[in-house]
Order: sequence, then C-alpha cells, then structure tokens
Amino acid sequence: MNKVTSIERAVESLQVDGTSPHEDGRKPIIEAHNLGRAFNEKMVLREVDLTIYEAEIFGLLGPDGAGKTTLMQLMAAILDPSEGHCTVMEHNTVKDDYWINSHIGYMFQGFTLYDKLSIAENMEFSADIRGLPKEVYLERQERLLKMAGLYRFLDRAAGNLSGGMRKKLSLCTNLMHEPRLLLLDELSLGVDPASRHELWAMLNTFRDDGVTVVMSTPYMDEAEHCDRIAFLHEGEIIGVDKVENLHTRCEGHVYELHTKDRGGAHNRLVEHPDVLSIRHLAESVHFQLHTANHIEAGLKAGLTENGGRIDPVQPTLDDAYTMLSGGEKSSAYAESPPKIHLPERLPEGGLIRTKDMRVEFGDFVANNNVTLEIKAGEVFGFLGANGAGKTTFIRSLCGLQKLTSGDAWIGGVSIIDDPKRLRNHIGYMSQRFSLYPDLTVAENLSFFAGVYGLEKGDKQKAMDWAVSVTDLSGVMNHLVADMSGALSQRLALACAIMHEPAVIFLDEPTSGVSPAARYKFWQLIQTLAESGTTIFVTTHYMEEANYCHRLGLMHQGRLIGIGPADELIAALPADVEAESIEDMFLAYIKIEDARLEEERQKVNIDKAGPST
Amino acid sequence: MKLHRLYAVMRKETREIIRDHVTLSTAFLFPIVMLFMFGYAISLEVEDVSLGVLDQDQTPSSANLIDEFTESAYFKLVRNYESEVQIHKSMEVNEVKLVLVIPPGFNALAGRKENPEVQLLIDGTYSATALVALNYGMTIVSKFKEEQDNSLIDVQTRIWYNPSLRSLIYVVSGLYAVIIAAFPPLLTTLAIVREKESGSIQQIYASPLTVPEFLLGKLIPYGFISSLQLVSIVALGYYWFGVPFNGSLGYLAIAGGIYVFCNVGIGLLISTITNSQLLAVLLALVVTMMPSILFSGFVFPIYAMAEPVQAYTHLFPGRFFVDVSRGIILKGAGPAEMIRPLSFMLAYTLAVFFAAVVIFKKKVA
Repeated sequence: MNKVTSIERAVESLQVDGTSPHEDGRKPIIEAHNLGRAFNEKMVLREVDLTIYEAEIFGLLGPDGAGKTTLMQLMAAILDPSEGHCTVMEHNTVKDDYWINSHIGYMFQGFTLYDKLSIAENMEFSADIRGLPKEVYLERQERLLKMAGLYRFLDRAAGNLSGGMRKKLSLCTNLMHEPRLLLLDELSLGVDPASRHELWAMLNTFRDDGVTVVMSTPYMDEAEHCDRIAFLHEGEIIGVDKVENLHTRCEGHVYELHTKDRGGAHNRLVEHPDVLSIRHLAESVHFQLHTANHIEAGLKAGLTENGGRIDPVQPTLDDAYTMLSGGEKSSAYAESPPKIHLPERLPEGGLIRTKDMRVEFGDFVANNNVTLEIKAGEVFGFLGANGAGKTTFIRSLCGLQKLTSGDAWIGGVSIIDDPKRLRNHIGYMSQRFSLYPDLTVAENLSFFAGVYGLEKGDKQKAMDWAVSVTDLSGVMNHLVADMSGALSQRLALACAIMHEPAVIFLDEPTSGVSPAARYKFWQLIQTLAESGTTIFVTTHYMEEANYCHRLGLMHQGRLIGIGPADELIAALPADVEAESIEDMFLAYIKIEDARLEEERQKVNIDKAGPST
Repeated sequence: MKLHRLYAVMRKETREIIRDHVTLSTAFLFPIVMLFMFGYAISLEVEDVSLGVLDQDQTPSSANLIDEFTESAYFKLVRNYESEVQIHKSMEVNEVKLVLVIPPGFNALAGRKENPEVQLLIDGTYSATALVALNYGMTIVSKFKEEQDNSLIDVQTRIWYNPSLRSLIYVVSGLYAVIIAAFPPLLTTLAIVREKESGSIQQIYASPLTVPEFLLGKLIPYGFISSLQLVSIVALGYYWFGVPFNGSLGYLAIAGGIYVFCNVGIGLLISTITNSQLLAVLLALVVTMMPSILFSGFVFPIYAMAEPVQAYTHLFPGRFFVDVSRGIILKGAGPAEMIRPLSFMLAYTLAVFFAAVVIFKKKVA
C-alpha cells in the first residue's frame, strides 16, 4: 500500500511541477484553497486562497485575533481545517499530516524551549527525535549555534537566556533537520531590536539557500523585511503582494499636515468623505485619502487656513493595510477631561524629574543614576530592550520600588517623602490590561472609579467622559471576556484616565491592534497631552516611538540618549547611517557598548600598571 | 515506534525531573510528609478517655472499681461529681466522654454476691470511639465482678497479624496505596499539561514523534521515580513505623511496580483531556487521591460499605493494592492470593494507557 501511494505522490508531484510553474520558475511550496477553520462554530479563518513559493520570505500580517496563528497551525498540519484544503510540499495537511510534521520546521509564538535543559541538550533533543546521526548533528549544531552567536554558551540552561537568545535557539532547534520550509509564528515577540536584526540576517541566509520562510507578525516594520506579504483582517486575506508593490499602491494618497490646531484639523478630516485614516504623530498629523494625487480644494483650504502646511509623504504598510481593509472611520476629536473635583492637584502638575535615580538588586544595577526631566503635557517614549531597566524605572516612579539612592519628583512631590500622596495622581495601563474579564465594561469602569475614590456626581461625570472619548458607549453591557483586543485596550485606557491623573504610564499600549485602532488610541493620547497630562510610554516597538515628542534610550540601566527622534538621529557621528528609529537606537547601543568596553580595558590597564 | 525517539523523550524527561526541585520534592518529600501526618494523625485506638465519676457509695469497694478504671491505660479521671445534675453540664462542654455512676449500696450488694448495678454514661457523638470506650469500660466492670466472685472462667484471646492491635500498622500499610495514588498521577499530568501551557507541545506536534513514543517517553521516567517513591515509603514504614514485613520482597516489587505504572497511566490519561495545570491538579485530586482515601479500604473497610458502593470501589486500583500490600506485608501472601487483584491492575494499566494513546492527538484542537 505504501508503495502505491508513494508512486502516486511522485506522479502528482510531476504534474504539479509541470503544470503550475511560478512566474519566475519557482515551484509552489504551500497551496491553500478556500481554507477555513471554525472554533466553537465561529469562523476565525475563512476563504483563504494562497500560494507560497519556494525560496521566499512570506509574511502574514495582521492584528491579534486576525487568524494568523490558526493559519500557521493549519499549514503545519497540527490543526485540521473545517473547510477547504491545503497542501504543503505536495502533501495534504489532513491525510499526510505525519509526513508534513516530520519535514517542516515550525516555531510556535512565545518561548517553547525546555528551560531546565542546556542549549546543547535542547539541540540534542531536537536532533534525536529526528533520528540524526551523531556526527551530522554535532556538525550542524556547531554551524547553527555559531551563526546565532550561541556556541559559547553550550552548557547554559535555556531558562537563563535572554529573550533574543531564546528565540535564536528555538530557531536553531527547528533547523536541525534542514527543513525546506520554516513556519515562524510571531518570531519577534519579546525580542529586543538587536536580536531581531540578527534573526533577520539568519532568515535571509536560509532564504538565499532556497528555504521558504513563512512568518506571522502584527508589526508593520517587521513585515517590511519580507518579500511578499498577505494582510489578514478578521479571518480573511484582504491582500497579497510584494512589499514594494504595496508601498507604490498607496503613493500619492498620504500627506503630512503641520498645524497648530490639531483638534480643528481632525474634525475637518473626519467629516470629509475622501479621508480614509488620520494618524496623530508627535509633531504632525498624517492623513490618507481615497483619491490619489489630489486633495479636494475645500479640504485643502480648511486645513491650511491658520498657517497649516501640507506635504506628501512616503506611505507605510499601515497605509496599505488601511486601504485594503477599508479603514475604520475615526470619531470626532476627543474632548478634554471634565476637570472633576479632586481633593487636590499636584503643585507642579505632570512634571517628572529624577536625579541620580539608582536601583540595585544585589550586584545587578537595574537603574544606574538616571537623571531626566519630562515636562507636563509631554508624550515621552522610553525605549529599551527587555532587562534594560524600563520596568524598574516605572515601578520606582509609581512608588512600588525602593530607590537605592537618588530621588525623583512627580508634580513637585518627592516619591521618597510621600509615595502615597502620589498614587491618586498616576494612571497605569499595562500591556496585559488588568481588567476583570467576567465583569461588563460598565462594571469595570465603576469598579476602577471606586478604587480611585471618585464619588457620586464626579464618578458619573468621569465615567461619562471616559466612555465618550474612548468610544465605548455602544458596548457598556458587554463582558470584557468577549471583547476584541482593541476594545479591551480602549477600556483599559478609560479605566486609567478616569481620575484625571497628572501622569499616565503606558506599557506597549498598542502592540497587536489594527492600524485603525492604533490611530484612534494615539489621537486620544495626544488630546490628553494637550490638556497637560504627561504621557510616559515604555516600548520596544519602534512604531510607537513615532507618536512621542521625545525619546529616552535605555541600555543596561543607563540613559544613553534623550531628545526628539530627529535630533537623536542628527547627533549620531557622521559615518553612522540611521534611516529609522530602530537603526538609530541600535547605533546608540553600539556606541555605548564600545564605550563600556573601552572603559573596561582602561581599568584593566590601570590595574596592570603598578605591577609592570 | 522508533526506539531512538523514545529514548530521546525519556532522556529529556529524566533531565527535567532531576533538575526540577518542585518535581523532586513532590516525588520524595511530600509522600514522606503525608506518611508521617496520616500515620500519626489517623489513630483508631482509644486512649486516655476523659472519665467522670459519681460515687454515691463511697466505700472501699467502690473506690476499688474506680481504681480499676484509672489504672488502665484507657481512662483518665478528670472529674468527681457530687450530684447527677453536674454530669449533663460536664458532658455538654466536652469535659468528659465517659461517666461511671456507682449507686449507693454497691458495696453491700457486692459483698452479698448479688448483682450490683453500676451505670456507664457515654458521649455518643463520635460513635466509633464511643463504642470502643464503652467496650473497654464494660470489660473492666465485668472483670471486676469476676474478681469479686472469684469466678473461674478465664477467656484467653490471641490476635493474628497485628498482635499488639496497633492501628498504626494497619493505617501505614494501607497508606502506601494512597500515597502512590496521590502523587505520581499528579506529577505525570503536570508534566504534559505544563508543555501544553507553555506551547512547547506544539513543537512536539510538529515533529516526527508519534503519540505512543511521546506518551511512553513520559510514562517510563515518571514510573521509575514513582517506584523509587514507593520504595522510600515502604522502607520508612518498616524502619520508622515498625510495620512488620512477613512476605516476599519480590512479590511486593512486582505488585508495586504494576500499581505505580497504573497510577502514572491515569495521570497520563488526565493530561490528554485537560489544557490547564489548575484543572489537571483538580482532576488528579478528584479522580485519584480522594477515591483512594475513601474507597480503597485503607481505613474505611469495604465490607462495611453498602453494596453499590462496594461495586463502585472496583473502579479504583487503590482498592486492590491495599489488599495486595497488606496481604504481602502483614500476612505473607503469595502468588495464589495475588493473582486476581494483580491481573486486574495489569488490565487496568493497559486500558488506561491505550485510552491515552487513542485520545491524545497531535493537533492543537
């Protein structure tokens, strides 16, 4: 029986080779036809028709909940489709699932190594279950780990590696059997920019060797590295194309507006039928039109009447996504807070100052004498890899972490002298929104209003305002558990701002939501900033940095750069090229590492000095 | 099934077990703690029952009877009453469990070889100990009477298997079954569900490993450390609790091995139907540990249960191992007596593993 099927397969593969050659002669690796999958009778993925060819890096791009992981699992043959069918390397994912399992590399999102095992043991396990002879596996292990820069740490337990190193190791364990197809689900989740760079270098090498890489990501800037991408939107593919084609599709549709009257401009844009999206960056407003290369005269006049200036700009993949998904109409410009009655306001509002703030954990210096000042009403972005000291810094400002030395003030009140007084003036929204999933939107809001001590009239006023600016009035009786990521994110923000805090801390607030939801979120943030609220954003997601007035760069507990993005780029040495915020950040890290290395050598020389 | 892949999983599991303190302490520390706690806490013996006395006779004879009580190890005199009214109050506040009432004229009647009457009042709220205490009390009284009468009847009793009638030996020899039903399934279940939660199981799905290879690769190392666990508690029972060992070590090893793998298999089965560690722990407790306490006969004798419940106990392998381990350890039972319970446990083990292999799919949903 086996013989027959293998002959059939050989015949089939000949036919595929012969009948459907790709435009530049490459053969298809994955073919999905009308593919769909339901969970609990709800279709999370439907009508997917997709062909992925040999030796390309193919990106699946879309917000959380768009169906990326489901599609990946269907292709890996570890999930059966409810509709349609899919072939991977000429094998059906339902009938030949075992063959596919054995011949591909699949990397699930998150961290899926065995933490108690060392790097070498994780590699060994991967080789052993695939039956590789010892010589082969040792040779490949050395080559792969050297490429990933992990060969020096062979005996280190996987649990003691940084996020970036773990991802690289995961990738290596999936390459042991030299698969011709790699399926990578959210490769860069929890990976710092420097490691992300190295991962991409590795992927490019494999692609050049003829390996097909399919990767999913919610990040547009990451998708830019792919050869072709498919946009996933609410379970459907809304567009597949080469990255450069997607850019050109939107050319002439996107403009940048410099204006003093953000609110007025916003409301004009919202009302105009030709406007597809509005994006409030730190210093300007980007807008996208349905019509190419033409701004309707009335709109142009309205936007420029108070000395506003409009320039065309290069589109991004976000713009392409928005165009293909049809966008989501923005609501009117958010109102300023109602100025509810609070027991007191801080003497200096939202001003944040720190002086030589230092936090040590044993020998580890999490914050190394950080001194900075952030004005009230500023949107400040704090960039840094995992472990750079961002979280410790915020925890300290919130009064949750004792300082080893130094001091800090919020609104003129010292966090050391009076941390309790500051609690009511701080809002915090974390990446994993701390909402109660089994309560409704209204109940969550009411609970948090109570936590912040808002009473009766004030409570109602604050809730009404928060609901209206976050556009939640339609879902007040929905359970949080049933809501999408974008809605939960808006609710989390509503809960964090009801008490009109002087400072709001946001931890990667918009990772994994659609561009439209992201634009809406940041528009609201800009309003809050205009009304005097200080916005402190921590992120290692470079897209979010675009919305910040100034950036602080953290590396190994130190603040290695502070200022507006363009000034930081300009301040780099002339021989360093930095086109994006990510390049700039990496350049600063490189300079800092070189400086630290020099210092270390100097110390060594000084030590060696007297003895010679 | 490819052996190299099975070995790969076993090697990986063994490394993880050895390096994980939680697993190791669940395997070796907690069972010992449980053995000590249950071994000492569950006592079926009656000692130092608090005794109250209302002596309305106040003669040397009545004083002698009271001495018989207080000199036994079973009773401890805590209160002398002056009137009957006091007795109620005293029993209500749990001051005494048993009250001896000696009516006036006790001495006179006893002297005349007539039947004197005494009254024993017992707090019956906890019926099991009440009965035992009452029996002790009645024995003392009748013995006293015999001595007074110089009766010649002398009953001699001899108790088999547990000559000192120490309930400790009974409890500890049954506890082995409970402990093996409590911890090994828990460990095994967590070992798989943990991989489901972290997502590393998806790497297993998308690999050439087959279901039996993966499950056996988990079963064998966990079966092995659980066997060591059984050895450690049996040794502790022998050396510390003084549980006698009258049977063959070889038979116990065979029976114990089968029982251990049976329980590890149940853990495996649980892990195939749950996706969260919390649910897995709860299920393991409800499916293995609780029935093993209630329905294994380790303290609650099965023959005293209602018929349907007796039938129900067959669902839990612990019931068979309690018989087998007590049989081998205390009675020195051999293959003839063990063949039935052992073949049942073996069938159970195979059924459980087979079910796990059938249910476990290399699919995320």
